[in-house]
Amino acid sequence: MWLDLLQQGISGVLVGSTYALIAIGFTMVWGVMRRLNLAYGATALGAAYVGLWFYRLAPDLSPAVLVLAAMASGAVIGLLVAMASFRWLPREYELAPLISTLGGLIIIEEVINLSTRGYPQSFPEVMSRVVFLGPFFFRLDHFAIFGICLLMVAGLYYLLFRTRLGLAIRAVSQQVVAAQLMGINPDRINTLTFLVTGVLAGTAGALAVMAIGTGSAALALTFTIRGLSAAVIGGLGSIPGAIVGGLTLGVIEAETLRIMGIGYRDVFTNLALLLILVFRPQGLLGTRVTH
Amino acid sequence: MEGVRKKRSVVPLTLGALVVALVVLAVGCRPAAAPKPPPTPTPAPPVAAPAPERTLKIGGMWAMTGLLQGFGINSSAVARYALDRINAEGGVRLRDGSRAKLDLVLYDEGCPNVEQGIAAARKAAADPVLVVIGPTCSSTAEPVFGILQKRLDDPTDTGLQLLFFTDTAIKAGLASISPWAFRNVPSEIKMYEELFKWLKETTGYSTIAVGTEVDFAHSKSTSDVAIKPGATKAGFTIVADEGWKLADTDFSAQVSKMRAANPDVVALSSHPFTTCGFLKEASRQGFRPKVVILLTSSITEETVRGCARELEGAIGPTSFAPINKLAREVSLTVADRYRGFVDLHSAPVYENLMLLRRLIEEAGVEGRPDTVLQDRRRLRDALAQVKEFDGLLGKIRFRTDEPREVDKPWVVVEFSGGRFRPKYIPPEYRAAIVVD
Repeated sequence: MWLDLLQQGISGVLVGSTYALIAIGFTMVWGVMRRLNLAYGATALGAAYVGLWFYRLAPDLSPAVLVLAAMASGAVIGLLVAMASFRWLPREYELAPLISTLGGLIIIEEVINLSTRGYPQSFPEVMSRVVFLGPFFFRLDHFAIFGICLLMVAGLYYLLFRTRLGLAIRAVSQQVVAAQLMGINPDRINTLTFLVTGVLAGTAGALAVMAIGTGSAALALTFTIRGLSAAVIGGLGSIPGAIVGGLTLGVIEAETLRIMGIGYRDVFTNLALLLILVFRPQGLLGTRVTH
Repeated sequence: MEGVRKKRSVVPLTLGALVVALVVLAVGCRPAAAPKPPPTPTPAPPVAAPAPERTLKIGGMWAMTGLLQGFGINSSAVARYALDRINAEGGVRLRDGSRAKLDLVLYDEGCPNVEQGIAAARKAAADPVLVVIGPTCSSTAEPVFGILQKRLDDPTDTGLQLLFFTDTAIKAGLASISPWAFRNVPSEIKMYEELFKWLKETTGYSTIAVGTEVDFAHSKSTSDVAIKPGATKAGFTIVADEGWKLADTDFSAQVSKMRAANPDVVALSSHPFTTCGFLKEASRQGFRPKVVILLTSSITEETVRGCARELEGAIGPTSFAPINKLAREVSLTVADRYRGFVDLHSAPVYENLMLLRRLIEEAGVEGRPDTVLQDRRRLRDALAQVKEFDGLLGKIRFRTDEPREVDKPWVVVEFSGGRFRPKYIPPEYRAAIVVD
């Protein structure tokens, strides 16, 4: 029993790394713009499908082509979402971007359905071998994804704290009027933020779907719910929190499945989310807002 | 302000153009299709009869959008083929001797969105459609049949008077809900019972693990009433019983537990996406049961496209396989010209429409706008009198123990070399099934 629980915990941490990948994008947009981009999960998936299209152009192409193409197309889709759901909507209607990105999610999902006629698509698997160590087993690709998460966080930290762009992003997120007075164009910064998160989305989408092995339009909602939940658990606006949130969510899901069965897995997962919102609304690593 | 006003008027146009461009690009940029088999000449259409003068509407209610739209797309493709064939042969003869062509009216049931299915049924009932083929999902069929009239000729029963002749929704017992519901679907209870009996007799295997998609009506029901009872009756011991959900992506826990139980056989009561997810995880963990049995709904092109490699050797029961000339002709023509696939779910569309063509003439359908309800009743009554009709594999009989349900021939297929091939024909159908 304890071995099983430990194995489930390990599997949960590793699966949670894919949630963390998606959560990073949600948390970054919130951190900069104090807005939720509900189309982010769909952006990740759509970029993965575009990557798959490029990958299938010729036989024997490396899966790296899929990831690179997904990164580029993630930037494009992210930019479209930024224009349609944030830049061109009146700022005074606070709910408008939320609803608009929900529409974006549905549009991207249906475009995937239309272009694939609803059929699941097989994605190449990289390093998906399972390694057995004593009574435990691990998937190598999940380890790789965990490592990539850490690299992405390191990269984002470098961008935010060591570059002028990062300085501008932080300025806009802290006080947009003051930033404008300093000569920073907030619209341009927000657009660049979406470009960066779009690249992250493409990377996350490609790696996540390759780890799953089969793509389906239904993953748009799955990515959105899990990514957002992970970001909230970790603390919206906290990039390390996105990783902690993702891993925590993965562990809760895995252990609940083992102990309570499939029927209660989602109940307890969302109960945990509710408890965090009630007792620690800023998330595990977020900063409490004081008035 | 003028500049702002001008900028804002350009915004919707640009946005619309960008969205349209994205949609066109995405729809046009489909992932490369699997290599096509060499083209086989499809038979020339029959010599056209005189053009029909009028039109009768046939409804098709399927999942045309959403996660399960692959099934709806296949059914509608088969419907278009069948109707084109009927119309090319002169359509149907009406009561007054004139001829009418059959037109397809599509209704999207939006499965698993039940409310959309009910709305579609109400719309079809209000439209001048004679009969509706469908729906796709059992989770739609059940509530939709529930709003049909329950007692014929009862003026106090305000249920819809709309004839359904189902091709896909396969959950056991649905036709009993209303006398307006007829189904041309195989009995999964019977199929799995016979399959497990044959498997036990030919292999001697004794243990089985069952994996079930627990949040979908068809897969959950089939697991509970067909797969587990069938396996137990044949003498298998269920050593593991795992569940997952329709949109799940991680199966490591379920595979790990099944692997620990070390069953001879694994039966998966799940649809293509999670079937592929499970099989891929099993492959990663090196879990290779001696036999994998699929749900009927996973014996489809969808599953092949999702995980052809991992599917190798899997078996399952199906009421359609291209094992005779007619079945091959229909299968190839639908794939070549109508961009759909014929499988056990979509094949009944062809069978249903060919039967309805005959019944429309025998029942004396008038086909006028003011006779829609009478025509539907005539057709319903004519269908209720049918004892047997032609199917693509062989004769299909309406059951006497379950009204408005059929007993149709079926085979066990095995996935091998890129496609599903017949492996076993149950003895009671060996005479009925046409193989050439």
